[in-house]
Amino acid sequence: MACLSSSRLCARVQDKLMCQFGQKVRRQTLFVKLKPPGPSPLRIFGKTCQRVTTCGPACGTSGTTVTGAVRRLASSMQSTSTGSLPDYGTQIVDPYRLLEDDLNGIYEDIRSELERNTNQPELNTIATYYFDGQGKALRPMVAILTAKAINYHVYGENSALLPSQRQVAMISEMIHSASLIHDDVIDQSDFRRGKPSVNVLWNHKKVAMAGDFILAVASMMIARLRSDEVTLVLSQVVTDLVQGEFMQLGSKETENERFAHYLTKTYRKTASLFANSVKAVALLSGADETTCELAFQYGRNLGLSFQLVDDLLDFVSSAHGMGKPTAADLRLGLATAPVLFACEKYPELNPMIMRRFQDAGDVEKAFELVHKSRGLEQTRFLARKHGLEAARLASELADSPYQKALVVTTDLVLNRIK
Amino acid sequence: MSLSRLGGALKFDSVKVSQCSALVAKLWGPCIREVNTSSSNRAVAQHNSKPDWNRAVSEAEKIVGYPTSFLSLRWVLSDEIANVALHLRKLVGSNHPLLKTAKNLIYNGKNNMQAWGLIVLLVSKAAGHSPEIPDMEQDKAAGVLHSQRALAEVTEMIRTSHLVHKGLVNMNTRLGPGEPDDMMFGNKIALLSGDYLLANSCTELANLRNQELVELMSSAVRDLAEAEFLGERDEQNNPLPSRPLPHHQREEASEWDCVLSPLPMAGVSGCMGREWSARHVLAAGALLGKSCSAALKLAGHGQGLQTQGYLFGCHLALAWQAFLDLEAFSGPEPACFSLVGAPLAFTLEERPELYRYIEAGRRSVHDVDYHALYQAVLEGTGIEQTKHLQNEHVTRAREVLDSFPNCDARTALTNIIVAMLP
Repeated sequence: MACLSSSRLCARVQDKLMCQFGQKVRRQTLFVKLKPPGPSPLRIFGKTCQRVTTCGPACGTSGTTVTGAVRRLASSMQSTSTGSLPDYGTQIVDPYRLLEDDLNGIYEDIRSELERNTNQPELNTIATYYFDGQGKALRPMVAILTAKAINYHVYGENSALLPSQRQVAMISEMIHSASLIHDDVIDQSDFRRGKPSVNVLWNHKKVAMAGDFILAVASMMIARLRSDEVTLVLSQVVTDLVQGEFMQLGSKETENERFAHYLTKTYRKTASLFANSVKAVALLSGADETTCELAFQYGRNLGLSFQLVDDLLDFVSSAHGMGKPTAADLRLGLATAPVLFACEKYPELNPMIMRRFQDAGDVEKAFELVHKSRGLEQTRFLARKHGLEAARLASELADSPYQKALVVTTDLVLNRIK
Repeated sequence: MSLSRLGGALKFDSVKVSQCSALVAKLWGPCIREVNTSSSNRAVAQHNSKPDWNRAVSEAEKIVGYPTSFLSLRWVLSDEIANVALHLRKLVGSNHPLLKTAKNLIYNGKNNMQAWGLIVLLVSKAAGHSPEIPDMEQDKAAGVLHSQRALAEVTEMIRTSHLVHKGLVNMNTRLGPGEPDDMMFGNKIALLSGDYLLANSCTELANLRNQELVELMSSAVRDLAEAEFLGERDEQNNPLPSRPLPHHQREEASEWDCVLSPLPMAGVSGCMGREWSARHVLAAGALLGKSCSAALKLAGHGQGLQTQGYLFGCHLALAWQAFLDLEAFSGPEPACFSLVGAPLAFTLEERPELYRYIEAGRRSVHDVDYHALYQAVLEGTGIEQTKHLQNEHVTRAREVLDSFPNCDARTALTNIIVAMLP
């Protein structure tokens, strides 16, 4: 049975079940916070997910067969007390829950794809290091979600996720990781995702080669999709990533050009991967040009919003929560949106930007000025603007849980705390 | 693609090699130069003696049109490369190996692999193309397809990108005073430049709109990455040979009849000859072989000829490598030489007790007593065996060439091969 219709059907059946079941659980006052099985990406988006998960019942004693289904249902409904059919209009759809089955095992699949492609154990170890399931898997999630939303948009209820679209989701995460691995060598970072980064553990030549290896395997996977268009679209991502990295090396652009330079760099380094992988799944679904372009723009805006929030969090979150030290960008000599906005009020930041915060006290001074200015507020405003645009684009797709989840995703990205 | 023939050709242990290359030498040795002079072509007719390297290469470049290097005007005009050039200037005076890599790319000596793109074009021209290819796709004057020219460029970009990434300095072990900043910056530039070339080759390949070809060439990138992990390494990732194993302890070697899947490693470690082959198939043979094979695919040739193209490139690269390995032993004694070269591999096979010298290089290959090893190589039959090995690969490559129609491109390839024979 087609993926979508079955899950929707299940949802209806279980909804009834849930009404009785939920009541029963309630009476027993078994409100326990759900713990997702295995390493789940859910806890990354702490705030939103708690809101969703706390309302679900956990049943250790009875009804084990329905637990999973109930849990899934519970997660996709904010309130179970009404007992009505799911109303997609008002509820919060947790995208990760919605795609649990599709995302399940995605890291394992990537790891085995890499493992199949080498007979050198150490290369395998380095290449699979960041695919330990601790990442947010945001890129694969967005790719699969968009794929399902667009499949629904084009084919209606009887549409299913294509295997090739899932491959694109894997490829997007692989390209992302390959670039992370090279970034680690370039930036000499010590920690990533809460563990020592690759460049600390292995020698740099090997780490660079491991990055090349992941890219090569990803390219082979792309080629096996046997679509000229998809290959072109995804190879653009790699070019953009490198060009973005070159832009980050810094040219001495004037103050006027600086913000445009920053936005282009942000597009190339972050948003291009979102935009083009989302476009690739749209192409694979056979959607028309307008829909593909819509997908692309959704990804682009979501990606820009994501990176703006990232740059913002670099100034506000604690070193512990982020998995990497704060003000890391300043320390690397990078002027991101909050600094560029702060510049308007505190022109003394200009020379610091030009010397890439290299003088003693520059980083601390800039950090302070950013907090005194409206830089963070303005950055959030810009991020929200792109988030809203992404949400608007998503709402043009046919109404479906996936389409709703695309809208929710823009919220997740904006409201994330790490 | 079935490559059982390559498996057969490359599956050798030292005993078999010496026997069979003795045979090869007997059959081919005396007549190798005659073959070259007997082929009726103006390029060769002009000089009866062995053509020298530079002449062979420059004659060959004329045959396929303008020089194939991607360091052409188009590239110098690109923003990123201009950027890199600027940054490279900052590195002058530092000790970063990226400078050496850059120098080797610009100065066209015998050792560098600029000629790889040239080989791909010559193979393209020698094999011709299917009549179904539309005129628009052809570079009539040069006798190759535009797509093949793009492919040759991709080959060089992949090769260069790999060399540049190989030239990174391992910062974890290196803590000289004052140096880290330069080295770190050099690493950054090297990594980015390599990535830039790799990204461009992705785009160029995508533009060829042939997914089988993209898969094949991507697998060559993967092979290059694998090569850097094969066997033992010092702290700067310089390769060391593995400890020679007594014959009864050796694993049974598996066939190398794979192209898209990675090279099987069974029976490689501890078997010096096979380790040499595996190392250089991954580091060189795979890329040249797959590029030649891909060029024939673009020309619309069948699977059979594509496989021949792969074998040609692979054997040529191995012959080339054997030639480079021999160079260290042909002039005055060098201060150091490759520890994974064929002459030393054969010497270690004969005298496993020499491995103690290799072990001294675990931290850095510079700690090895090169003089002792050099003497050992000269005393043994390592050089002789390497020449046989080279001859064998040359022969295999020429067998493929003979199946192409006689033309100037084929003669040019023959000349290039002959120019590197000792």
